[in-house]
Amino acid sequence: MMGDELSRDARAVYDRCMRIVHVARVVVPERRRDDWTREWSGELWYRALLLDRSRGSDRHAVRRLVVRTMGVFPHALWTLTDEMRIDPMLQDLKYAIRGIVKRPAFAALVVATLALGIGANTAMFSIVHSVLLRPLPYERPDALVYMYGGFKQNSQAMVSPPDYLDYRDRNSVFSSLAGRTVYGTAIITGSDEPERVQSSIATANFFSTLGVKPYRGRVFLPEEERGDHAVAILSYGLWQRRYAGDARIIGTTIPIDGRPHTVIGIMPPLLDRTMDVQIWRPIPFGLDEMSVRRFHFLRLVGRLKPGVTIAQAQRHMDAIARDLAAQYPENESWHLNLVPYRDVVIGGVRPVLLVLLGAVGVVLLIACGNVASLLLARASARSGEMAVRTALGAGRSRLVRQLLTESLLLGVTAGIAGLVLGHYLLVAVRAVGDGMLPRLAEVEIDGTVLAFTFGVSLLTSLVFGAAPALHAARSDVAAMMKSLGKASTTRSAVSTRDVLVVVQVALSFVLLIGAGLLVRSLWRLQDVQTGFDPSRLVAASVSLPQTKYKTRDAEVRFWDQVFERVRAIPGVESVAATTLFPLRGGGDTYFYIEGQPPATDADRMNATPAIATEDYFTTMRIPLIAGRVFNAADRSDGAGVMIVSDALARRLFPGASALGKRLVVDFGKPFVGEIVGVVGDVRIYGQANDAPEMMYFTGRQPNAGWGMGFGNLATRVRGDPDAIVSQLRAVVRSLDPDVPLSAIQTVESILYDSVAAPRFRTQLLVGFAGVALILAVVGLYGMLAYSVTQRSREMGIRMALGARPTAVFRMVVRQGMMLVVVGIVLGVIGAIAATRLLAAQLFAVTPRDPAVFVVVATALTMAGLAACIVPARRATKADPIAALRLE
Amino acid sequence: MKPLSVSALAVLGAISRSVRYGFDIMDATGLPSGTVYPVLGRLERDGYVRSKWESQGIAQREKRPPRRYYEITAAGARALAESAEHYRTLGARLGISPRRTPTTK
Repeated sequence: MMGDELSRDARAVYDRCMRIVHVARVVVPERRRDDWTREWSGELWYRALLLDRSRGSDRHAVRRLVVRTMGVFPHALWTLTDEMRIDPMLQDLKYAIRGIVKRPAFAALVVATLALGIGANTAMFSIVHSVLLRPLPYERPDALVYMYGGFKQNSQAMVSPPDYLDYRDRNSVFSSLAGRTVYGTAIITGSDEPERVQSSIATANFFSTLGVKPYRGRVFLPEEERGDHAVAILSYGLWQRRYAGDARIIGTTIPIDGRPHTVIGIMPPLLDRTMDVQIWRPIPFGLDEMSVRRFHFLRLVGRLKPGVTIAQAQRHMDAIARDLAAQYPENESWHLNLVPYRDVVIGGVRPVLLVLLGAVGVVLLIACGNVASLLLARASARSGEMAVRTALGAGRSRLVRQLLTESLLLGVTAGIAGLVLGHYLLVAVRAVGDGMLPRLAEVEIDGTVLAFTFGVSLLTSLVFGAAPALHAARSDVAAMMKSLGKASTTRSAVSTRDVLVVVQVALSFVLLIGAGLLVRSLWRLQDVQTGFDPSRLVAASVSLPQTKYKTRDAEVRFWDQVFERVRAIPGVESVAATTLFPLRGGGDTYFYIEGQPPATDADRMNATPAIATEDYFTTMRIPLIAGRVFNAADRSDGAGVMIVSDALARRLFPGASALGKRLVVDFGKPFVGEIVGVVGDVRIYGQANDAPEMMYFTGRQPNAGWGMGFGNLATRVRGDPDAIVSQLRAVVRSLDPDVPLSAIQTVESILYDSVAAPRFRTQLLVGFAGVALILAVVGLYGMLAYSVTQRSREMGIRMALGARPTAVFRMVVRQGMMLVVVGIVLGVIGAIAATRLLAAQLFAVTPRDPAVFVVVATALTMAGLAACIVPARRATKADPIAALRLE
Repeated sequence: MKPLSVSALAVLGAISRSVRYGFDIMDATGLPSGTVYPVLGRLERDGYVRSKWESQGIAQREKRPPRRYYEITAAGARALAESAEHYRTLGARLGISPRRTPTTK
């Protein structure tokens, strides 16, 4: 555009310099870019001109000009940082802090509301993160596969040792395949009190398969699987508790089940958090009972070779299972079901946790709604201030940015408070929820959780800060200036707040329905008849060391002595024992009606066997329906007798008496028993599960049941059940100091604990719903109170014109209740959609239980009414004179 | 008031002596372009100098693009005097007697 007054050389220098300028130009903020370029171009052209004038221009001057042109880069960067306005941001922050300090109550209300929501979310997310998201604490946990055995699909049976060895040796998909027993116990004696602990028998490669290294000492050697090696590995917890963490225990012997075992190692603490086992022993493959293919008692876990999928492994193991079935008739249709190890550990808690996480998310949304509403109210009150600032030259974006800075400051403060709250919530959850969630001990606030909380705080700030910021952005300066000094507000702000209230009511309705359904479900569950009377009843587990009590007679003698001495304790009404106490075990065995043996294996019937002493049914108050209970005449030399439960009697002999019929029951050897009694059904597996079909035997007859080496003592007392615990201990210790008495508990507390998990999640959801309800009601109240204040002049004029206070009262209540009703209608729709997620957690309640819907809708309406009354009454007190004077 | 930085003081001093253009200021102060231009930007933002474009007439006569020039404001003159005084007393306190200090006029 300029006339070409430069020489060719000078022009070349100018062009060269301008190329540098154009490179740096991209950094310059767009707004300043043209001015900035023109300034450099003007100077450079002028300097190039000077070069021409001082003819014979030396290369030195040219280079100097080019070097000076390099200054465009710092200059461009400076314009960029200047544009980013570090300073005004600090200014915004200072202003925001000043605003908070000036209105501490307002800020405290906002921060407390948000902290509640953020804290609950932090705690819930920590749990979800630890339980569901974080990998298992093993080496490459994704490669770990759990294996169930079974004749059918989805069966969860275990695997026999010979099958395990075949699977291990024939497969080519696992780099390592290990097994262990579950549910075993062992008795440790020695220096301290005898103690019954959880024990497991594992293959030598079990720990290396998981990738767990011993904390001290070593793991089992392959040769310790063969023969009978008395070595043991202790858990970290047992080592700390019983042996005071003394490393010298390694290499010494301790009596386990009455036999000295050499301690060879200690497991690391992480295993305590994932497996409830205190004593590990090597599997003795050589023993007779380890070589029976139909004795299934091993759980298998394998580590897939790299690149092998679980589906490929499943096909491969199926092929091995078919080979085994062809070889061994007892393996007919037997196969393995492979499941990712992670799914087994997590179990069924996934949907529960996700529902709870959703619920806290909703609580946070409602809290955001409240805060947005508060800020909107304040924005209306500050419209004068905004107008003045606009008039003084603050741009719209500047105002929005300042409001967002305030929101962010509030949000981040609430985030910090929420983190502290979340920490204490977690401490509480860990204390209350022990044993109700897998991996609960692993739950902690870590980097991911911190990032989550920070992200939630920022997001929250944007959500609740958006409405007031937008409100400020579209404000009309002239209108605001006009309204300065008068308390009035634009319509749009009020309608935004109306929408917020409706959404809050709808969301809290959904949560309340969820909580209501769980509460009703829990009530139903606790109302279920167990089939016995749990009041004033104490249960205790007794384990007789096998080395000492080798015969049935020895066991029976011990128990008879226990009964005799316990009966002598003052306050004891009756005492008995059983091998299968409600909620403490299970299992079943095959049987057939005498003379009708099953044609094929598939036709075999099974039922749950238990040994019960003479007084068991009277002590438990299990009703006798027909015949008699056991008595002292049912001896080892007499004919075999048994008692069946009502359900079994009805199934076997519908419409006929079961008495006098004879069953053949498989206890390794067949036992033939005549049914002498029929008793009521007992929900052995808890109130949520049907009563199993039961067969009772007396411990005095050989081959009936598996003996009474392990049994539960049931004692019914007249007074306080806790009072006799120490006396029970003393009785057992006086008889044999090597016999441990454990799990002493009142039966009422056993039942209470059995519904602990559903109660826990019910309490959590009720808590969340309660917070949501409070927040929604506070939100409604705040909105109405604010609206009434804004309209006090209008109310005054209405009353001056003759409106009765009741009419004004009704008007305000109608305004509030409209929102509540709309919210409830939306809530019903939302709840019908959302409660399907809860269906699996409900017991004997449908997700659309009308009673729950009616109760919740009524309760929410009442709460809404209560929130309307105070503002409505205040509206009736509006002073007509004051209103008129203001006009 | 916070005293000006030494380079800002030099630049402002040059402008006060009617050195008006960026490259001329570099010549007068000996400061590199990467220092002079950001300093000019800062001084302008803080209201110590104001920039103007030279008139189209002059530029067109010389057949070149117009150059931007800088003028000191009243606030700039005050800041210059105060900062110069600040450095003088600082020098005196340190026992250094500057041979030549940037002057306002």
